[in-house]
Amino acid sequence: MFWIKATTRFINARRHPDEVTREVETELRFHIEMRTRANLERGMKPDDAQRAALQSFGDFERVKNDCCEIQRSLPLDSTPLRMVLHIAIATVAGVIALWAVNVRHDNFTGVMRQLIVIAVLTYLFIVVRRAGSKRRSNSERVSGVLATSSETFRTNQSVTRDISDATSTRITAFDEHGRTPVERMFKS
Amino acid sequence: MSKSKAGLLQGTLDMLILKALSLGALHGYGVGQRIAQISDDTLKIEEGSLYPGLYRLERRGWVESEWDVSDNNQRAKFYKLTRAGRKQLIIEEQNWERLAGATMKALRAV
Repeated sequence: MFWIKATTRFINARRHPDEVTREVETELRFHIEMRTRANLERGMKPDDAQRAALQSFGDFERVKNDCCEIQRSLPLDSTPLRMVLHIAIATVAGVIALWAVNVRHDNFTGVMRQLIVIAVLTYLFIVVRRAGSKRRSNSERVSGVLATSSETFRTNQSVTRDISDATSTRITAFDEHGRTPVERMFKS
Repeated sequence: MSKSKAGLLQGTLDMLILKALSLGALHGYGVGQRIAQISDDTLKIEEGSLYPGLYRLERRGWVESEWDVSDNNQRAKFYKLTRAGRKQLIIEEQNWERLAGATMKALRAV
């Protein structure tokens, strides 16, 4: 049942991308409106309430684009699909490389064939690299999602300060000749 | 290193959304409010980031949505947990408890 629903949604999203964008926008605007109302109830001025709501929401356009992209993507778990894709790309690259090697290198056709192969393999390499970096940047974006309370943040800051203090202590362990404690032990 | 951190956070957000929805159907704003409520306002989530999370969970079949009318007579999208989502929440909770237990054990080691 889920697969039928998911596939129908995927096909609809592909066929009517504008509708998907409109729905996502409606949903996100509803959120901002609710947050604005809550801010007003807390006694904020209308302008401030809306500004604060937009600020706490984050980057509206980015969230909208991310949601639309998810709606339009294949209804499959991407990990096995990516593995199959990697194997397929590696196989294609291997076959192309073998095709290039099994040719005489001292005539025009052979050299041309090798040049084509180099171009194709370079293109494949660039495509795979780009896909990888896009995926990485998406996952890094998620890392900014959760933040604990300001109290925890202050604790973290103090931990950082302790570490930096410890580092500075280690640096002052050098003597006036710039020798480390170990060097001092062996070269007294 | 940063990769594993991102994965953990993403998983955590998904788990929190599933937990919030396990208590009843909610719209996106309500999910954020419920998470803040059940964590005693300790966990601050960038509100916008809830939505890609909800869409991801829906695509996996753990959550389903439908448009309805909210308390203030506005059209809103409501999410609810599916049976697969409930099972996934149990798995996520077990994983989290195992991870938290192991971390505590490591921290208490002399």
